[in-house]
Amino acid sequence: MHQSKRVSLALVLMVMMVSAACRGDKPADTTANTSTVVRVTDVTLGRAIGGDKAVTDKTDDFQPNDTIYASVATEGTAASASLRARWTYGDGQVVDEATRTIAPGGRALTEFHIAKPDGWPPGDYQVEIFLDGKSAETKKFEVKGR
Amino acid sequence: MGIFDKLGKKDDEKPKADFSNVQSGSSSTAPDATEPSASDLGPTGTSGQTAADDTYVVVSGDSLSKIAKRQYGDMNQWRRIYEANQDQIKDPDLIHPGQKLKIPRA
Repeated sequence: MHQSKRVSLALVLMVMMVSAACRGDKPADTTANTSTVVRVTDVTLGRAIGGDKAVTDKTDDFQPNDTIYASVATEGTAASASLRARWTYGDGQVVDEATRTIAPGGRALTEFHIAKPDGWPPGDYQVEIFLDGKSAETKKFEVKGR
Repeated sequence: MGIFDKLGKKDDEKPKADFSNVQSGSSSTAPDATEPSASDLGPTGTSGQTAADDTYVVVSGDSLSKIAKRQYGDMNQWRRIYEANQDQIKDPDLIHPGQKLKIPRA
């Protein structure tokens, strides 16, 4: 009886080893997986950013003398990904457009900021973020009068 | 023409806001795509390019320590910005709105 149990155990172990060996034979990945799809995961607005490019003073209500930051979170890997921030006022008057071409190697934060030395006109604004030319996310914000 | 017509007309003729002096900039935790990788370098191994610094446009009320706080999260890092911009900052207590400062990468 003990003998047959030992044989059974040995068989089970052999099956497990063969199975593991077969898995090991399979190439992990024959393609050079150097890039994945880059996507915008979040856009945060605020008055200040930290060294990690994340917004430290988050808001969507600004004062005329504020510097306005938009921190764009992306995920994915690429040799080149183009981020563009298009800031508009009121019914679509363009305030500013800026592009930054990055080579992300995973999660990344990219900040865009705008300032106006003589103060922002009060009203409704928005920033639209484009990734490789395609609109990825839009955030609205307001500048309130003094 | 009634008062409401006048008001409506006045609203239609409202001049557009002037954004000609807007200053902007950007920076990222990801490297710039324009930076050459080792495999992009020519036979001599040099490309003549250096890693781009971030830029920051000074606005009213800024000081080097405030900018350092925003960019690095530590106002004591102001000297890094000062040293990277000594070509345009003579006195670290005196910077001007509109100045474009190089922000060395952290």
